[in-house]
This record gives sequence, C-alpha cells and structure tokens, in this order.
Amino acid sequence: MSTETPLGVQPKTAPGAGRSGLVLPGILVLLGIYLGVGIITMEVPEGAKHPGPAFFPILITVAIFVLAALLALQLVRTPEPVPADPQGYRSYSDWKTVALVAAGFLAFALLLVPAGWLISATLLFWTVAFALGSKNRARDLGIAVVFASVIQLAFGAALGLNLPSGILEGLIG
Amino acid sequence: MESLNLLLEGFSQALTPMNLLWVFIGAFLGTAVGVLPGLGSSMAVALLLPMTFSLDPVGAFIMFAGVYFGGLFGDSTMGILMNTPGGSTAIATTFEGHRMAKDGRAPQALATSAIGAFIGGLIATTLVVFFAPKLAEIAVLFGPAEYFALAIFAFIATASVVSDSALKGLASLLLGLALAVVGIDGISGASRFTANVPQLFDGVSIIVITVGVLALGEVLHVASRIHRDQKLTAISVAGRPYLSRSEVREAIPAWLRGTAFGVPFGVIPVGGAEVPTFLAYGTERQLDRKRRFPKFGTGAIRGVAAPEAAGNATSGTAMGALLALGLPTSATAAIMLAAFQQYGLQPGPMLFERNADLVWALLASLFVGLVMLLVLNLPFAPLWAKLLLIPKPHLFAGITVFCGLGVYATGASVVDLLLVLAIGFIAFLMRRYGYPLAPVMIGVVLGPLAETSLRNALMSSGGELSILLGSGITITLYALLALMLGYTLWRRIASRRRQDV
Repeated sequence: MSTETPLGVQPKTAPGAGRSGLVLPGILVLLGIYLGVGIITMEVPEGAKHPGPAFFPILITVAIFVLAALLALQLVRTPEPVPADPQGYRSYSDWKTVALVAAGFLAFALLLVPAGWLISATLLFWTVAFALGSKNRARDLGIAVVFASVIQLAFGAALGLNLPSGILEGLIG
Repeated sequence: MESLNLLLEGFSQALTPMNLLWVFIGAFLGTAVGVLPGLGSSMAVALLLPMTFSLDPVGAFIMFAGVYFGGLFGDSTMGILMNTPGGSTAIATTFEGHRMAKDGRAPQALATSAIGAFIGGLIATTLVVFFAPKLAEIAVLFGPAEYFALAIFAFIATASVVSDSALKGLASLLLGLALAVVGIDGISGASRFTANVPQLFDGVSIIVITVGVLALGEVLHVASRIHRDQKLTAISVAGRPYLSRSEVREAIPAWLRGTAFGVPFGVIPVGGAEVPTFLAYGTERQLDRKRRFPKFGTGAIRGVAAPEAAGNATSGTAMGALLALGLPTSATAAIMLAAFQQYGLQPGPMLFERNADLVWALLASLFVGLVMLLVLNLPFAPLWAKLLLIPKPHLFAGITVFCGLGVYATGASVVDLLLVLAIGFIAFLMRRYGYPLAPVMIGVVLGPLAETSLRNALMSSGGELSILLGSGITITLYALLALMLGYTLWRRIASRRRQDV
C-alpha cells in the first residue's frame, strides 16, 4: 500500500487505537523545541532593555510544553472514540488524496518561478481536480488552462500584479 | 452633529461612479467567496486583498467595505441550502435555516437572513459613525497595561469559553502566539526564530496564516473525506425570496434582539461573531419555548433572523473598534489592519485626525455596500445558489489556485508558499482532531499587541508586576474574565450533572 500513514496512526485493533491524536501534542513538542533552540541561540543586541526579546517567547514555550504534556496524558488515559467506518478503511482520513493535493501544491510552489504561472497553476488545478475525483482528464486540462490564463490576464495585465511568466517569457505579457 | 457633516463628505467621496464600481465589485466578489463552501468573510478579505494592491488607498478600502460585508451575506446561503455553513459565524443560522429550506421555505429563509444581515450591519455602522470618535477619545486612556489586559481577556475567552475543550483551545492559541513571535523584534531589533531566512524577518504574514488555516486546511480536510462521505445535495430554490407581512412581523423583534447581542461584541475581542450569534440563537430558542406554539425545531424564522443580525452587527462595530482603537477583534479585522499598514496607515485614535477623509469615505462606503448587498442578495439569492452546482473537484481546484495566487501576490516569495502548505497541513490535522481554529487566529492577531504592551508596561514600571493591575480598567477587565470563566465552569458542571441523571 502506498497510503501514507502519519506517525502514531495504527490499525484499529492495536493498543494505539483512538490515540492517533497524539500527533498534535507531538507537533507542539517539535514547535517547543524549535522555539527553545531559537531562544538559546538568539543574539540579543547590547543595551536591549529588560524584559528583552526572549521574555515573551519563553512564556509561550513553557506553556507549549505544559499543554503538550497535558494533552498527551489526557489522550493516553482516555483514547478518543474511533468513528465507526462501515467501508472498512484502515484510517479515518483518506491519506492518499490528502497527499496528492499537498504534493500538487508543493510542486506548484517549486515550479512557479522557473516554469511560470501559466504552467504551474494549470498543473495545480488539474492535480487537485483529479485527486478530488474528477473523471474527465482531457476536459479538466482545458478548464485548468483557461482558469490559469484568465487569472494571468485579469491580475497580471489588468491589475498590474506581477506573476512570473517563467519559460513562456516573451510569449505572454 | 459634526459626525453627520463628516459622513456626508464621506458620501460625496464614496458616491463617485468609479468608487461605486469598486464597492459593487467588492460586494459581488465578497458574496461569491462567502457562498462557496467552507469559506467565510475572513477568507474573502484574504483572497481578495491582492486585487486591491494596485488601487489608491481610498479605492482599496471602499472595495474592502463591499468584500467585508459581502462574505457575511454569502456564508449563510450555503448553510441554509446545504446544511454546511460557510463560516463559523453561520453555524447558528444553519440550524433553523436548513429546517426551513427542507420545509420548502428556502426563499423565505434566505430573505430573512439577507434582511437580518442588512439590519444588523446598518444599525451597527450607524452606531460606529456616532460613537467611533468618542471611542477614540476613550482609547487615549488606554496604556500598555490596559491593552495587555484586553489581549489576555481575548485569549482566555476564545480559548476556553468558545471551544469545547479548554486544553485544545489553549493549544490552538499557543500555536497562533508562536507564529506571531517570528520575525524581527520591534522593540530591541533582535532577529527571532527566523533561521536566518530573510523572508521571515518581517514575520509570517497574516495572509499566509489565514489562507493556510482557513482555506488550504479546509481543502485538505475536504480531500481527506471526499471519497468517503456521502454526497451532500443542495436544496433547490424556486421562486423569488420574499416575506409576507406576518413573517416580517414575526422576524422584526428577533432582528433587533440579534443586533443588540451583536453590537457590543464587535468591541470585545472574543474571536469574532461566533459568540454573539450563538447567544442570539440561544435566547430566541428560550423565548420560543415560553410561547404557546413553539416553532423551534420546525424551521423557526426567528432562529434565522437573530443570529444573522447579530453576526453582521458584530462585524459593523468591529470596524469601529479597528478604526478607533486600532484593535482587531476578529481575523477579518486583522487582515484589514494588515491592509491599512500596507498603505502606511496606522488605525487608532490618531487615524481620525490624520486621515479623516479616508475614514469617513470608508464608513460611507460601508452603508453603500450594505444597500448594494441587499439588492444583490435578496432578489438574486437563487442565482447565487447556482454556484453550488459547480462540481466539487473543480470548485476546490479553483480555491487551491486562488490560495496560491493570494499568498504569492502579497509577498512574491516562494518561502511563503511553502509556509502556507505547512500551516495548511497542521490546520488540517487540527480540524481532524477537533481543535478549534479561531484561537489560532486570535493568537496571531493579538499576539504582537499582547507582547509589546506587556513589555512596555514592565519596562516603565522597572519590572514591577503590580502595574498590570494598576488601574480601574485593568481590574474591571480581569474581574469580568473571572466571572465569565466561573459561569462557563458552572454551566459545564451543570450540564454534566444533567447527563448523569
């Protein structure tokens, strides 16, 4: 199976059932660590008045660790009820579709400057439509091209917004 | 009557053909975004912000006036027809609104909500016109300690009162606060949590966060369920929305009561219009129980009228709080604040003196926008409902492209695009595990205010903590907060006990 499973999500029968929510306290801990490292390595300019730039972040970081611990504790003691799923999927969320949409957006972000708005936005539109279950791929491509072009025209030409033209530089305004 | 003269001057500026066109475009697009599933007023403002970059400040804010209310008019349409509210403020309207629609009274429900939104917005905006200058005078009394108390009030109120689980609410709030501290520290000039990425020196833009949390998170959420949930179908609207005389008589008290709930909440920062809409809904339901023929549960017109009026009234006075105090009380107001700052304007007491023409033109356009929205929404509601016929894959594909456009257009930076994806993914996980999203926005919006006012207060007192409780205003605010927490706690225990019995 190519289904992406996040950390902590396990089959329903395992003891971890109903505890996949631990992923959020996990994110909080990671965030707390990032903030903690940032506080320690922060270069405070000389002569900065007290309380300085690290004061408020320290309060937040401490609170983040406390809450992550409380949330994790709550979840370990009382797991959340697993929603009944008559279709028999392994996880509640459809991770394949989520991953496809996210990958489409990532590709858009990375392609936007080198390939230009027209190509990257067309690709993004098409990928999301495909992931969400649109069947007619050729027609979708047409819609995607028209949609991206209209935005390029309306925002780029009429409103003067600077959208990268990428490899089509010179071909389009 | 000085306000009236100034307002008339504002109207003379707002009523030029070009500016009328901007209000119209704003109102039109705002309604369109509001009608789309999952996207409310704040999304409308965030996604349409880039459109205004090439306009002059007056034109831009006039267009915003239309977008601002437009999103609110639109988001209840979805809720009434499909039982999926466009934004959190439309949830309360949905209960009775959808029942009315199932009962074959969809046009009446749409009309009640449109007129309610109009009345709420109209009364609130009128109050703003007369009292915003007064509010600006009071605002001068507010020092750092008072602003800090106000921010704390907003934090705790949204995180614990509004959300079901106080722990989850607080976790959401902290995520927002953490996002808000990234960037160059305004007081000392130290670079914080930027990992030496130059694009982060200015902090994470409010647009990136709003689009990530509210729009991209929603798209991912839809993606995670679209192949598994049953398809929702919209109830079709036949006939023009109108209200009979008896229906109007039935709705009028509810519209007015809803407005009364909404008005104060525009100035109190508890995360936007969610609280007043539910309060208005709850009050109507309790009043209804005492009537001889209770109508709630079968599509009560009052259950639609009150929350809708409350929601728009809150947004109206929120604009007053933003202009006069510089205090953003909702995500939408925060984006407006960002827009002001983009033009080098700082909302607050001074704005009324320095940029009076702009302020009054904006207030006048709020009125113009409301009238236009009533015209756009009342007879044409069935047309707006046609937007729901767009196939979901294409609808969300379009929204995703607009997310990319909005984010890239504000900063022209690829780093922002990667950030919005990360934030969107975390927001999706939060949605999945029942974490409320409003506290994130409040943390981001009021975080900087809380930090600077706390540090300024402590600096001026030389580190004495007692300054935070040093004035009547701060003590009142903390006392109010304690009362509110006590009431929430009591209500939760009471409802739990009732369940046990």
